[in-house]
Amino acid sequence: MAGIVEVDRLSKSFGRVRAVHEISFSVAEGEVFGFLGPNGAGKTTTIRILLGLLHADGGTAKIGGHDCWTDHAKAAQQFGATLEQPALYGFLSGRDNLRLFARLLGTVDESQITELLATVGMTERADDKVKRYSMGMRQRLALAQGMLGKPRLLILDEPTNGLDPNGIHGLRILLRKLANEQGLTIFFSSHLLSEVEELCDRVVVLHRGEVKAAGPLSELMNVKGFHYRIDVSDVDKATEIVKSIDGASVEPGTIKDSIIVSSESDLARRINHALVAAGIGVDQLVRTQRGLEDVYIELTGVAPGSPLSAPPPPPPASPTMVKK
Amino acid sequence: MLFISLIRNEFEKTWRSRWIVFAVMAGILVLIAGGLYTYYVISQHRWTPPPAVAWQTTLREEITANQSSIAQLEKFKQQQGSGSSGGPFGRGFGVDEQIARNQQSILDDQYLLDHDIAPLQSFPLTLTALFALGGIVMFLLIRIFGWLASEQIAGERSDRTIAILLSRPMSRDQLLLAKAVASFLISLVVVVVTFLILFAMVSFIEGSVGPVTGQVAIAIDGNKPVGASNLVVMSIPEFVLMCLGAAMLGVLCVQAMSLLISVVTGRWAAIGITLAVLFGAPLVSAIVSATITLISGNPNNAHFLNYLFVNVLAPVSAIAPVFGNGPASAGTGMNAFGVQIATLAAWTLGFFTAAWLLFHRKQEAG
Repeated sequence: MAGIVEVDRLSKSFGRVRAVHEISFSVAEGEVFGFLGPNGAGKTTTIRILLGLLHADGGTAKIGGHDCWTDHAKAAQQFGATLEQPALYGFLSGRDNLRLFARLLGTVDESQITELLATVGMTERADDKVKRYSMGMRQRLALAQGMLGKPRLLILDEPTNGLDPNGIHGLRILLRKLANEQGLTIFFSSHLLSEVEELCDRVVVLHRGEVKAAGPLSELMNVKGFHYRIDVSDVDKATEIVKSIDGASVEPGTIKDSIIVSSESDLARRINHALVAAGIGVDQLVRTQRGLEDVYIELTGVAPGSPLSAPPPPPPASPTMVKK
Repeated sequence: MLFISLIRNEFEKTWRSRWIVFAVMAGILVLIAGGLYTYYVISQHRWTPPPAVAWQTTLREEITANQSSIAQLEKFKQQQGSGSSGGPFGRGFGVDEQIARNQQSILDDQYLLDHDIAPLQSFPLTLTALFALGGIVMFLLIRIFGWLASEQIAGERSDRTIAILLSRPMSRDQLLLAKAVASFLISLVVVVVTFLILFAMVSFIEGSVGPVTGQVAIAIDGNKPVGASNLVVMSIPEFVLMCLGAAMLGVLCVQAMSLLISVVTGRWAAIGITLAVLFGAPLVSAIVSATITLISGNPNNAHFLNYLFVNVLAPVSAIAPVFGNGPASAGTGMNAFGVQIATLAAWTLGFFTAAWLLFHRKQEAG
C-alpha cells in the first residue's frame, strides 16, 4: 500500500548548489516519521517541495497520491504544516491568526479554534497580539495552525526551535498523543536526535542531499556489535592491552580515566580478565547500547546540531546495564 | 466561497496592520477642510456658504472679461506699435496669439450659451470629479495605493507567512487575484469617500450642491474651437462615472505594477522600488522630455514619452485642467483622454500578466 507521503528520486538544486539529489522515501499512514540530518542536509528543501513552495528539478513528491506541485490544491488538503520559523501575523492576536488561517480552509470553526488553543496551552494568551509572544509561544501557536482542519498528516520542520525543555517535553507528549489517539501521521524534521529517538517510529537520515539511512528506529539502532565503557586506573596501559585482544577496537572515552571498546562479539569477560591480569584496576565496565547519535555521526560525520563536518567525537555512554 | 474568504482576509490584514495610514489620510482631509473653511470665514466675513451663481452668469461674466482683455491687449498693441509674436509674453505668448485665444474662448462660451450646454466646471459635482479624481489628489492617493499593494506579496514573504498561504489548498492564481481584488476594492472605497468629502467642500465653496442631472460637454480635440463637430455631450452622472472609472484604471495600473514588484522581492525592497518609480520616474521623464525638446527644438520629438505609464496615471487631468483658463476650451479633450485610457489599459494588462507569470512559478526558498 502506498504511503501518505511518497518521495521518489527527488532532486533540487539552487544554481550550482545541489540541495537534494535523487532521494526516495515514503511515510506510512499513522506513523511518526523522523526526518533527520545536519543543518544544510536538504531537509527544509524537501519539506518545501512537499508543501508546494518549491518545484523539484527531477523526481516526484506526492502526498495522498497527489503531486505536490502539479496537483497542489488536492495534496494540500491532506496536511497541515509548521515551518522552522513560526509564520504568523504579529499584528493579530493568536486567536485571530487561527481564524484567518482557518478561512483558507473554507470555514472557521470557533469551537475547534478554542480546542486547539487549549491543546497547545495558549488559552490564556489567545487574545494577546502575537508580536508580544515569546518564541516558544509562537511555536505552539504555529502548531495549532498546522492542526487546523484536522489534517491526516502534520509536517513539522524543526518544531522545537525556541522551546524550553518543558516546552519540548510538552510537545513530545502532545505529538505522541495525537499519533496514538487520533491516528495522525507526523512528519517530524529535526537535527536534535533526542527528540527523534523518543518520538519517531521510523527515520530517514539525510546528509548533503542524499539519504544515508532509512528504516525503523529499532533496526537502525540495533546494529551488530557490542560497545563498552570501561573505567580504569591506567588508560594508556589498558588501551594497549585491549588492542591486543582479537576483534576489539578501542578509543579514549569522554569520561576521565575511561576507554570505549567496540567489538563484534561479546568480549566483556575476556577484556575484564585481561585487564585485571595485567594489574589494572577496573572500576566499572558498562555495556552501552549504540544510540541514534552514534548512527548519525557514523553516517554523516557531523555531530548533531553542528554544521561542521568535524571528526566525530567518541560516542557517549548511555548505560543500560552495569556489570561488576 | 474560498475566494471571498481570501478577500476578507486581505481586508482584515490591511486594516489591522495599516489602519494608521487610513487614519492619517482622513486626518489630512479634515485638516484641509478645516483650513479652507477658516480661510473662507476670515476672507469672506461670513460663516455660511456664498449665494450660488448660475453657470450662464459665469459664462457671460467670462465673455465680458475676455472682451475687456482683448480691448486692453489691442490698446497695448497700438502703444507698442508692433503685434509680432515673441512680444512681451515671450515665445509663443505673443499679443496676437493671446487675442486669438480670448476670441476663441468668447466664441466657445457663446456656443455653449446658445446651445444650453454647461461647461465642465459648472457644477460642484463635475468640478469635484475633475479635482478629486485627477490632479494632485489622485497623484497622492495613487502613490499610497501603490505602496500598500507593493506589500501584498512581499510583506507575506518577509513575515514568512507566504509559505503557509501557498501550502494551503488553493491555487496561486486565487491568492494573487484575491490580493489584487482586495487592494482594488479598498482603494475604490478610499477614492469614493475622498470624492464625497471633497464634493461637500466644493458644494460649500460654490454655494450649492448644484444639479446632479443635466448635461455637460467636453471638447473632442481641445486644440480646436468648440462646435457641433467638436463636442461630446453626456449627462452629469455619466461624466462622474467616466472620471471614476479613469481614476480607478490609474489606480489599478499602479497596483498591478506594485504587485509585480511584490512578487519578486521582500517588503522593504518592494516599497522602496515602488515609491522610487512612482515619484522618481515622472521627474526623470520630465527631464528627458525637456532635454529632447531643448536639443531638437521640437516638443513632438518627446511625444513618445506620453506612453509611459507614469505620465498618464491621472487621465482625468487630461479632460480639463481644474483651474483652467476657460471652461469650454480648456483641456486636451476626449481624444487625448482616450489615448491615455488605452495606454493605461495596456500597461495594466502587461503588469498583471507579468506578475501572474512570475508568481505562478516563483520558487519560495525561504
